[in-house]
Amino acid sequence: MTVRIRSVSGLATIQDLGRVSQRSIGLPPAGALDQRSLRIANALVGNDPTAAGIEVTLGPIEIETSRPVVIAATGAIGEWRCGSESLPPATTVALAPGTPVRLTPGPQGRFCYLAVSGGLAVPELLGSRATYLPTGLGGWQGRGLRRDDVLPLGEASAPPPTGTAAKPLGGSVEEPIRITGAGHDQWFDGNAAAALTAAPYRLLPQSDRMGSRLAGPAVRASIRATLPSEGTCLGAIQIPDDGQPIVILHDGPTVGGYPKIGAVIGADLDRFAQQPLGGSIRFAWVSAASAERAARDAHTALDRLIRAISRPDSIGR
Amino acid sequence: MIRYGTQVVPGLDGVVRHHASILRAAQLPGVVDIVPGYVSLVVHYDPRDTSFALLRDRIPTLLALAPPTPAERPGQTVIIPVRYDGLDLEEVARATECSVAEVIDRHTAPEYQVALLGFVPGFAYLEPLDPRLVLPRRATPRSRVPAGSVAIAGAQTGVYPAETPGGWLILGTTSLALFDPYRQPPALLAVGDRVRFEAIGA
Repeated sequence: MTVRIRSVSGLATIQDLGRVSQRSIGLPPAGALDQRSLRIANALVGNDPTAAGIEVTLGPIEIETSRPVVIAATGAIGEWRCGSESLPPATTVALAPGTPVRLTPGPQGRFCYLAVSGGLAVPELLGSRATYLPTGLGGWQGRGLRRDDVLPLGEASAPPPTGTAAKPLGGSVEEPIRITGAGHDQWFDGNAAAALTAAPYRLLPQSDRMGSRLAGPAVRASIRATLPSEGTCLGAIQIPDDGQPIVILHDGPTVGGYPKIGAVIGADLDRFAQQPLGGSIRFAWVSAASAERAARDAHTALDRLIRAISRPDSIGR
Repeated sequence: MIRYGTQVVPGLDGVVRHHASILRAAQLPGVVDIVPGYVSLVVHYDPRDTSFALLRDRIPTLLALAPPTPAERPGQTVIIPVRYDGLDLEEVARATECSVAEVIDRHTAPEYQVALLGFVPGFAYLEPLDPRLVLPRRATPRSRVPAGSVAIAGAQTGVYPAETPGGWLILGTTSLALFDPYRQPPALLAVGDRVRFEAIGA
């Protein structure tokens, strides 16, 4: 009842939906950067939405299991194969014990997700199995997975039949990332707000699970970057003195002293996290009310998609 | 976010903490986390269960109805034993024109207040630092500051709970675990606690 890591050449971490309520002790949520893709992968193998899977970035991972399982890969997939056989993305696949499968992220995004029926049964820490890399907490020994790690698998419940495929969620990668205000309007004038949407920003390769670093038109705050520290949120767009934005992601600090010109809206966070390194990103301002509406709509669309995966014939599941 | 000002004002931290505890106790539907800062309070919510407009109505009403800031101070006093053998101790002495012994005296004298937690899990920002010890951060941060390092930066002092990069000036080391995820609560210090550093033999 295990998953064995045969090889990893990028960064592969155990992630679930993360910790929601530990910010006041300084612990950020961690968890999958593209939450939708992980939820879809879990649904395809019959797991709870809160089950832990593997987030893969910057290079391939190869695994095998010790028992027959079903498995699914989602997100920005480059190659997904079993030996020389190519496997269908976002589809329930049966896997025999001891058979290696290999998942490689593709250039269209950054993160792939691998879910195995039963979920990775590493111990929960403060309500989640997510790996928090900066101080090495949670997941598997608080670190990225390595060759020959052997991870415990949980009990599988009845998964959808092999061949079940998730419909694409829609929405194009090229659409602008929607942003909304973050309560710091007093330190940014209209020019600063306009600078952010005037031209695309490039996503720098130094970006990681803590935050995305952008290069583009400089955004000027009317104060130096030393506010008394205050809480941040997922997607917060911090403006340091050099005017180049840093967007807080799931492993990012819970407090900070940089002025924040806005925040990526919740509905677009997954898509933002999947923007390719070196690629360009456009922003568009929306109101707080439409950000909330978009978040509710995105959840509704995802819930509908997941219900369609989870055996529409068995009512009440 | 509730903003109380743009600058740290003595006494304001007590109001922020008091409001944080009122809002926690209220258990408003959809509110998932409440994070006090120096002069602000951030309320995280799930837009499926509540809305900004609703919270902007409810929260001021709740805070207006609540009793005023309690006279007695909440929280506990924590003594942190420190071996003052830090890499930057002599540099701090030079920069402040104090003897090493005087730096230690000035650092151990105050009763500090935990203003907020952040940076990494369990990292407590303690203030106020003796004005004589107020120095800028290192121009180049260290790529590794060991866990337990007791350090200063600006008007703040704190203890690194885990090995991380850091630019604060290191005065010494404690063997107390500032953060242990298997302990309840995991963080040794909470906002509102008071801290004293106690010098122990090298």
